Amino acid sequence: MSLNVVKDATCTFCGCVCDDIELHTEGDRIVKAKNACSLGDAWFKNHTAERLFPDALIDGKPATLDSAVKAAADFLYDANMPLVYGLSNITCEAQREAVALAEMIGGVVDSHTSL
Amino acid sequence: MGGKVTCTLGEVKNRADFIVYWGGNPAECHPRHFTKYTLTQKGRFVPEGRKGRTMVLVDIRETMSSKAADLFLQIRPGKDFEVLTTLRALVKNQQVDERRAAETGLTLAQLQDLVDRMKRARFGVLFFGMGVSMTRGKHMNSAGILALAAELNAFTKFVCMPMRGHGNVTGSDMVMRWTTGFPFGVSLTRGYPRFNPGEFSTVDLLVRGDNDAALILGADPGATMPQPGIDHLARIPTIVLDPKVTHTSRLARVHITTAVTGISAAGTAYRMDEIPLPLRPALSSPYPTDQEVIRRIRQAVAARPSWSPASNARMAIA
Repeated sequence: MSLNVVKDATCTFCGCVCDDIELHTEGDRIVKAKNACSLGDAWFKNHTAERLFPDALIDGKPATLDSAVKAAADFLYDANMPLVYGLSNITCEAQREAVALAEMIGGVVDSHTSL
Repeated sequence: MGGKVTCTLGEVKNRADFIVYWGGNPAECHPRHFTKYTLTQKGRFVPEGRKGRTMVLVDIRETMSSKAADLFLQIRPGKDFEVLTTLRALVKNQQVDERRAAETGLTLAQLQDLVDRMKRARFGVLFFGMGVSMTRGKHMNSAGILALAAELNAFTKFVCMPMRGHGNVTGSDMVMRWTTGFPFGVSLTRGYPRFNPGEFSTVDLLVRGDNDAALILGADPGATMPQPGIDHLARIPTIVLDPKVTHTSRLARVHITTAVTGISAAGTAYRMDEIPLPLRPALSSPYPTDQEVIRRIRQAVAARPSWSPASNARMAIA
């Protein structure tokens, strides 16, 4: 087990996006989140780098990433009015990709802001 | 900034002497807001810290946050728009019917007192939560509170800021704004962006059954959306990208597991005051990031002819 410390880590649990967190990791989990509030602490400790889920699921059955990417592209390409929704818990870089994809498939793109 | 009268949280910390929270419970939902930015910090122009600031809470019920408030104003549920409109009238010294004002749950004297306090402030802030933006009146309430802040600037410095819930929901507003010109609910079905909340907002689209496929990113509508919307997601091919197998994954045709934003995926996230911050992931994930997966889907779609005749014609000329 290797102990690692990341200073000035950023918490993305809520809109405060606190960027003064000190994370201590042991192996594939975070064991301490200094400065984090109770919500942030739970957020950091509840997510690990373990492989807990299959890479992908198609119709509920484990599948490879390649086949899932192909299935996703097929469904979105074939649709007349696909929806791209969420975007609130992904990075800006991923959001940018999502808007580009929405444009390419001629869809609607929306976030939690509209709720 | 989208035209709103606002500022950064650093300015709030250093300058604000009058803080209003409306329709939100920061003590439990944004636990460090009081201590990092709004109440307890000593600011450059608020050297006394908490003693130099006044905090007002407007809500429909008492919460943990009302304990931190100097003044708690309990309004009737669904009356936010009426309270805001009355305050805007009082700011301009317009006549307000005492009985009509009382329908909001507050007396005219209480509303006038709040207006007087707001006008006396050196630097006032209105923070509004989902109790304003997601109850009866919805985006008209948000427009009302933003207008109240703007109009108070005829008397003193006043700003307004939404209390954003999810980690990078502000980022999605920013990215959509600089890519399409609109912050959310953008339709690209004609090949150019169109914005119309109510028509292109997710709940309305799904409840009406307008979409014939859905890609869900960093969200779990299967746990939070009205049931007719969830039923529609189960009817159409739904694709979910998420670090966990969620409620939505279970009704989806495709689920792809991705790395966790900020924990095992690097990138940028925007704070609620529209300040971009770098993420410093502490772990390395066995799964790809959302960015990588979306790019791969986009590349797979790009290999096909475009749905838009105009774009295919352009390609043929090129």
